[in-house]
Amino acid sequence: MSDNAESPTETQKDEPSTPQQPTEDSGTADDKKKIDVLLKAVGDTPIMKTKKWSVEKGRTVQSLSQFISRFLKMEANEQLFIYVNQSFSPSPDQEVGVLFECFGSDGKLVLHYCKSQAWG
Amino acid sequence: MADDKDVLRDVWFGRIPTCFTLYQDEITEREAEPFYLLLPRVSYLTLVTDKVKKHFLKVMKAEDVEEMWFDFEGTSLKWHYPIGLLFDLHASNTALPWSITVHFKNFPERDLLHCPSNSVIEAHFMSSIKEADALKHKSQVINDMQKKDHKQLWMGLQNDKFDQFWAMNRKLMEYPTEEGGFRYIPFRIYLTMSDRPFIQKLFRPISTDGYTHTLGDLLKEVYPVAISNDDESKHYQVVIHGIEPLLETPLQWLSEHLSHPDNFLHISVIPTPSD
Repeated sequence: MSDNAESPTETQKDEPSTPQQPTEDSGTADDKKKIDVLLKAVGDTPIMKTKKWSVEKGRTVQSLSQFISRFLKMEANEQLFIYVNQSFSPSPDQEVGVLFECFGSDGKLVLHYCKSQAWG
Repeated sequence: MADDKDVLRDVWFGRIPTCFTLYQDEITEREAEPFYLLLPRVSYLTLVTDKVKKHFLKVMKAEDVEEMWFDFEGTSLKWHYPIGLLFDLHASNTALPWSITVHFKNFPERDLLHCPSNSVIEAHFMSSIKEADALKHKSQVINDMQKKDHKQLWMGLQNDKFDQFWAMNRKLMEYPTEEGGFRYIPFRIYLTMSDRPFIQKLFRPISTDGYTHTLGDLLKEVYPVAISNDDESKHYQVVIHGIEPLLETPLQWLSEHLSHPDNFLHISVIPTPSD
């Protein structure tokens, strides 16, 4: 996926997250909308200094995975596994917005990341 | 009236007659004949095309062969989508056999995921099942299964063994009687003319006041364009496994009987062909 994609923006820890979108789902695919993602490390995978990120809905899992790998300064041959609900690994081309809609809680999508397979 | 179990068999054994032709720019030592194959609707391209690869490798040099990939009329075919979905979405109203072009070079990185081995297909398949169960049962059923049970689901698909697969899959189709159905229905609606790959949202099969939701209810909620008609004609076809189920069909029933082996209802919305 594109390396030109804007990096997710850090959410300020003490401020409320991104401006409230209307709660009614209008059903329109507005890629400018962002969702809050909370990244959690599994096992002895390095913990990211910044865990909360504001990510565009249309961003793919693969794109986010590449971002985390770069942030953690991982080697090119190292793999990163991403999990939702501590149970399944979404497809790399899956959009985070869809994952947030289906598996988000308390206004954010929690994603676990790991250098090895955690939940098989 | 067909027995419900017959529907499960019909879905599993659905086949699409396909003609594989080598892309004209591939380098061959002699002419490549097209290869004909019946593709299982419920499987994945890279799982069932070893014969296709063997056939074309006979006329090619090893150095001219990279990862095999497919296109239909210029659209790269995503191996991680079920075959039947790819057909319904891109080739529904074209003549059979389905004509697919085979490539061994210039892999379209932007369109397709790589598929270096069957274990990648297995991982993708099992993840889909887990995601579906997260929606249906908060993952309780899939987590209660042992690793060997998970393996049985995969082996059933890989080896085209209906009974082996359903011996395990039936557990994923159960629900507490008092609930009346799954928590949420695993579904994806694919549109031919859209930026986004598919629509997937939370949707209950039974409303809080006990009303049984239908396919029509789902579409009205998440993609009303699909069922808007003027008096003259229907603009779109809503297709699952090559058929247009009645919009009055209960969604819970569709989920139990017309899901793919990955436990998702993959629904194509395509423009009605103008005659």
